[in-house]
Amino acid sequence: MDITRTATAGTLESSDIQVTLAPGGDGIDIDLTSDVIKQFGEQIKATITSVLKDYGITSAKVKAVDKGALDIVIKARTVAAVQRALDIVEQPKWEVL
Amino acid sequence: MAENGEKLRRTMMFVPGNNPAMIKDAGIYGADSIMFDLEDGVSLDQKDAARYLVYEALTNIDYGKAELVVRINGDDTPFYENDIKAMVKAGVEVIRLPKVESAEMMYRLEQKVEAAERQFGRPVGSTKLMAALESAEGVLHAEEIAKSSDRMIGIALSAEDYTTDMKTHRYPDGQELLFARNMVVHAARAAKIAAFDTVFSNMNDPEGFYRETRLIHQLGFDGKSLINPRQIEMVNEVFTPTHDEISNAQNVMAAIKKAKAQGSGVISMNGKMVDRPVALRAERVMKLAKAAHIIDEEGNYLGK
Amino acid sequence: MTVQMRDMYLSDHLTMCRWQEFLESEGIHEFQAGEVRPIEETVGLFDEDGRLIATGSLAGCVLKYIAVRREDLDHSALFNRIVGELIARLADRGATHYFVFTKPMYVTAFEHIGFTKLAQVEQGVLLEGGLPGIDAYLKDVRALGNWPQSAAIVMNANPFTLGHRHLVEVAASRNRHVYVFVVHADRSLFTTDERLELVRQGVADIRNVTVVDGGDYLVGFATFPAYFIASPEDVVDYQTKLDATLFRDWFVPALGITRRYVGQEPYSPTTEAYNKALKEVLEPRTQVTVIEREQAGGEPISASRVRQLVAQGDLDGIDALVPATTRLFIQHHLLQLQMRI
Repeated sequence: MDITRTATAGTLESSDIQVTLAPGGDGIDIDLTSDVIKQFGEQIKATITSVLKDYGITSAKVKAVDKGALDIVIKARTVAAVQRALDIVEQPKWEVL
Repeated sequence: MAENGEKLRRTMMFVPGNNPAMIKDAGIYGADSIMFDLEDGVSLDQKDAARYLVYEALTNIDYGKAELVVRINGDDTPFYENDIKAMVKAGVEVIRLPKVESAEMMYRLEQKVEAAERQFGRPVGSTKLMAALESAEGVLHAEEIAKSSDRMIGIALSAEDYTTDMKTHRYPDGQELLFARNMVVHAARAAKIAAFDTVFSNMNDPEGFYRETRLIHQLGFDGKSLINPRQIEMVNEVFTPTHDEISNAQNVMAAIKKAKAQGSGVISMNGKMVDRPVALRAERVMKLAKAAHIIDEEGNYLGK
Repeated sequence: MTVQMRDMYLSDHLTMCRWQEFLESEGIHEFQAGEVRPIEETVGLFDEDGRLIATGSLAGCVLKYIAVRREDLDHSALFNRIVGELIARLADRGATHYFVFTKPMYVTAFEHIGFTKLAQVEQGVLLEGGLPGIDAYLKDVRALGNWPQSAAIVMNANPFTLGHRHLVEVAASRNRHVYVFVVHADRSLFTTDERLELVRQGVADIRNVTVVDGGDYLVGFATFPAYFIASPEDVVDYQTKLDATLFRDWFVPALGITRRYVGQEPYSPTTEAYNKALKEVLEPRTQVTVIEREQAGGEPISASRVRQLVAQGDLDGIDALVPATTRLFIQHHLLQLQMRI
């Protein structure tokens, strides 16, 4: 599956992460802003990538602004952004959750 | 009707479903129930995002002993069905339906919940239900709504929308809620489920909050909906039994124990029969006293 | 402290006064119609006593008039909330790429929430947020072809005239390759798509030219918000230098641009100022060359003259000023164009 439109989910408030997905990119290309990028950058990117893979997305441009989100928050926000980008908000993919 | 003798539900804390900071901390405040809100506390364009956030929280975070409730969107919204599926899949304990006006609405909810339980492999019947009454119609049908299903564990009054429907607004003395509160608590008692009072949103009026909480405690409500963790302690304080109430309850418990030991079917105390409501009340008082850390598990006084 | 987010309707006089009062207390004093009229949405954060403590507005995809009460301890949290809310509203409209023009002191605050600095000058800074970003745009331009060195022309071409043609011919004769960027602005008589098409047709026979849509990045410096600039004299300097800096910092390195050609502007002091700013900012790395205007009937050819003739319906007069391709288009759409005037 490939995403056809740009979509965003999440806020810039503390403990949250804002995930924006756009079509294109060479594979999964993640631009991450985070106060803890050194310690957790790889882990944050891995969580995002894992959700994208579950939806069968092989290429996308991702912009993520992290404000100290837990893994489950990263997952939830990425799921919301992907569903919006794939335009399947009304028909969620239950297997991915 | 669901027997709610086991659970204390003094405090039900509302947590906005799209707020990760509040969701992750919801368990530390000691509320008896945590209600994740997908409805009025979430803006229209974020309903889907809130749903997945609450799903992830429910399936991953340990909230200790708190009862986990979700307020889904009303059955007249496009979010209703997906909310039910996601929350059932997440294994939420109670689904709270807003703006309930008839038993029929609860039947329809129950059907969808059951379908979701089957779809996602949850034990059928494991998801309980709650109804929030927010209109004249709802309040007038309180009894049938409270008795509509075996899954019902409680009904609640939502004063904001109710007073709007009644063409009035909230006042400090609460007279405008007199009838509604009484309907709700009567219906709950008749159906043997819990009664919840509405939210008090003025954080700068603790005196008003205490007054309201004492009133609903007096009316017989099981608990109150809260929007701020600071209110939890205040509610618990009001619901804490007095020394006399505890003593009396302990005597009842002792009388029951003695009757059982003697193999007697009839329990008597001070020359009068101790019937079921009295016994239940004594149990409840003991539970409240334990929860308030006045007595320990064995019934001994703590501290001082 | 519980804060409430509320919409602010500037059309209401009282709200407008409160809004301006708050902004003035935070050091923003410019409220000319040109800056305020394009505002489509404004949000405000109010404390428990109903006082405005933070605000932000949207004009198209541009965030402006963002201010947070200075003495607030929660300063950055409030800032994030305001900007977050504006971004959410943009997303609601399907706008996922947005810009902010602001004072240099806010660069870090915006970068901290994922914005990318595009250009900074003494008086102000331009940042972008969301996707797609400038690197995606430049990648698309590079995909049109790879040349080690190129010259560049940036033109509005409203419409493409023989004067524009002359400029391109000169650049094309002196350089291996020329990029012709068309400014993206639908405020012109001819729409961006129409202008792009006319430019393409007008230079189709010149082999070493690539015509490129300026996208969100070449939009005409005159449109840059300057609401936070204290003195009016600084505005043109800020706008022209910011535009030139963006070109220098992104277009030049990505596309190997060694020369920029501009037409001489005897009638427009603003464009003269722009050319001057370009020289200051781009040289010495990129040479800026000013070419004298092509003349017709003893007068420099100007697109505004063409537009005047369109209004008058004078197709013969237009003949001397535009190539056949432009003339044909105007002829076929004369009524439509006149209705837009």
